[in-house]
Amino acid sequence: MADYLLIQALNGLTIGIIYAVIAAGLTVIFSILRIVNFAHGEFYMMGGYFGYFAISLFSIPPLLAILVAMLASFALSVLVERTLLTPLYSPATERKGDYGILVTFGISIFLRNIALIVFGPYPLRPPSFFSGALIAGPLIMTWDRVFAGGAGIAMLIALVWFMNNTPWGEALNAVSQSRESAAIVGIDDQRFYMLAFGLGGALAGGAGALVGPIYSLSPSMGLIPDTQAFAIVILGGMGSVGGSILAGLLIGISESMFVALFPDPSRSLTYAQAFSLVILMIVLLIRPTGLFGRAHASME
Amino acid sequence: MTPALIEARGLTKRFGGIVAVRSLEFTVQSGELIGLIGPNGSGKTTTINMLTGHAKPAGGEIYVRGRRADGLAASAFAALRVGRTFQITQLFSRMSVLENMLVPGLARPHSTRPAVARAARQHLEFLGLAALEKLPAKNLSGGQQKLLELGRALMLDPDILFLDEPFAGVNPYLRDEIIVLVRKLHAQGRTFVIVDHDIQALQRLVLRLAVMSRGEKIADGPVAEVRENQEVLRAYAGI
Amino acid sequence: MRALSWCGGLALAAAVLAFPFMVNAYWLSVGVLAMFYAIATASWALLAGYAGQFSFGHMAFVSLGAYTSGLLVKWLGIPVPLGMAAGVVMCAVVGSGVGFVGLRMRGPYLALFTVAFSEVLRIVFVSEVEITGGSGGLEVAPLFHTRSDMPYYYLGVVLLAASLAAMLALVASRWGLFFRAIRENEDAAAAAGVPVMRFRVLAFAIASAFTGLGGGYFGHYIGILTPDIGSVDQMGLVVAMAVIGGAESIIAAAIGALGLEFLVEALRSYGQWRLVLFGALLLLTVRFARNGLLALAWQQVRRIGRALRTGQAAREAAE
Repeated sequence: MADYLLIQALNGLTIGIIYAVIAAGLTVIFSILRIVNFAHGEFYMMGGYFGYFAISLFSIPPLLAILVAMLASFALSVLVERTLLTPLYSPATERKGDYGILVTFGISIFLRNIALIVFGPYPLRPPSFFSGALIAGPLIMTWDRVFAGGAGIAMLIALVWFMNNTPWGEALNAVSQSRESAAIVGIDDQRFYMLAFGLGGALAGGAGALVGPIYSLSPSMGLIPDTQAFAIVILGGMGSVGGSILAGLLIGISESMFVALFPDPSRSLTYAQAFSLVILMIVLLIRPTGLFGRAHASME
Repeated sequence: MTPALIEARGLTKRFGGIVAVRSLEFTVQSGELIGLIGPNGSGKTTTINMLTGHAKPAGGEIYVRGRRADGLAASAFAALRVGRTFQITQLFSRMSVLENMLVPGLARPHSTRPAVARAARQHLEFLGLAALEKLPAKNLSGGQQKLLELGRALMLDPDILFLDEPFAGVNPYLRDEIIVLVRKLHAQGRTFVIVDHDIQALQRLVLRLAVMSRGEKIADGPVAEVRENQEVLRAYAGI
Repeated sequence: MRALSWCGGLALAAAVLAFPFMVNAYWLSVGVLAMFYAIATASWALLAGYAGQFSFGHMAFVSLGAYTSGLLVKWLGIPVPLGMAAGVVMCAVVGSGVGFVGLRMRGPYLALFTVAFSEVLRIVFVSEVEITGGSGGLEVAPLFHTRSDMPYYYLGVVLLAASLAAMLALVASRWGLFFRAIRENEDAAAAAGVPVMRFRVLAFAIASAFTGLGGGYFGHYIGILTPDIGSVDQMGLVVAMAVIGGAESIIAAAIGALGLEFLVEALRSYGQWRLVLFGALLLLTVRFARNGLLALAWQQVRRIGRALRTGQAAREAAE
């Protein structure tokens, strides 16, 4: 029994890292565009499908497919941003907060329905990155899971490096701290909003591609990871990568433990989803501003 | 002896690790005309927020006409006829000027629409905004918006009005107009506490000056006295 | 101009009343569903568009109203109208609860919370199969024991008309003013003496009650009730209906619902692509015509009217 729980806990760690990657994308988008992106889960979903089709249609090797998925997600996000989000930067737009909510909600519905038609409602499973499993004593974890966790951490490290060591990243950081101050120093280019939204989408898409072989793909796969990502961002506080990772691990493990310990197996899967949602609701109740990191800035 | 209109005892407010207001004692009697000044970050707006229900004190008590009021919601303070304006004008932008005035009027118990509309138009007349009553509030100029916000507070028939930086960014004509309006309203019997940085304007207007610095009140008395106060001069010079 | 509106109004009323006789049974059933969606959409417009409380969990109250009524009728044998009333009360209470719990949250956080709430409720309805029948469906007693949908249609018209009348009365009253004030600026509303918390909860209670009424009507019509009427995708449909019609006007939202529901059925042959179309229409409307397509159309009508009148005046001046 203890072994089983331990394995579940490790699986929880992996999924927690994935959630943290999604959450990091959400944070980048929020801190720069100042909107809550309801469509984020759908970028995660599309990333997974991009990876799948890169492999099945273009015979791209699975590892490379992750990068292709991220690039495609980046492109999709930028397209969405250019066509639908530009009113957020114009002073002529009233009630930007409401606009952000409505438009991203609309995008999520739209993408989900497109995916349903184009990809079909039945789950698809991309081929594994690495076959077999890591066996260390009583612990068994598929190499796919190990890889997903490792790649996720690599993505987060790459993000932090990018934000702190490249001119684009530092500029993004500056804009996220204060749009006004950044504008004064001359950093006021709509290209940054494009970059931020694209980056956020790419992270989500990459996470989706990583997770494909483990959990398989379906058009509605984005909802739960999305809510978890929100919970993480709120728990970890906006803009705090360390806090997000910690919160991600916590949430991932508690999710896994809930499934493992739930007494009624026939309901455990569906109620596990409810559990994730309840986590978000509780987090929203107790901490709309997060534990670590800055207090939430208002929309306008 | 009639209780003070508003009284704060030991009022404290913390934001994270910073103490914005520390153990403030502040009493306002009916009929006073008080200025509240101090360098940026001294806690003036936080104090006003606590005294009007827009912020919850971390410690201390507030009494309105002798009854405990700390912890009440902002709308409850308004119902107690404590009015206020904001540093950045807060209006109902897409509602008309008249509607902006109707909201506080109709929020009062036993109010009827015709009576409230009449009172609203009277106040708009007094403020010189009567011709604009049908316009959406966002179409007004900055100065007109400030006056409308004052009008909205007046609809509560307030005994006391807290004005938060009424002279900020305001041209000299409007500033003089505001001073005239406040004097008239004060003559009608309303009490004022005015926060601002424009010390010249305040000195022309108020009878008593309270000074805050770094969350504490360092001076409180007749204008002439406070002007000479060394500590006050140091606080301002020290920034 | 007045005479024109009266004529138009009468013509509309006549068309609505004569509708069942002009169409076949299939389109009549579409009409019934259109009435249901109009009630749900109008109440969402009241909550989100008018009072500014963006709740994406609205359809959960359709489910709640329908299941409450269906189960009470099934277990206790009470008459269906009583069951529906119970559903309304249940929704008002739970709606107040959601509103109360959501008081600390504004804007997108409230939206997030309500989505989560709605999904949790849906999962509970799916999982508790012994009680609700789960995804297989719950048999709900019908309101009318007729083969034709006509009584359902007329009841729907009455319920919609009554709901719209009640909502419009609310909007015209001082409460409507307070809702708008809260939507525009909560801090200013509080400073103006509006008990913001009370009214936010009230907005939720009222909107949820109307939705519960729609839900009960839907449940006792559809006969087999499944949890996916409370899904996020159904919510998306209602949001699309409201936004395309005009989210800040209750009448425009209701018209949007009626129009879109008929469109959904008219485009039946396109299958899933219909929903993609509506999604695209929603996005285009939000992006380019935020006040809804009806407002846009009305603007054009007035522009043409003005052009005609100036043209006429010019002609008269030339004579």
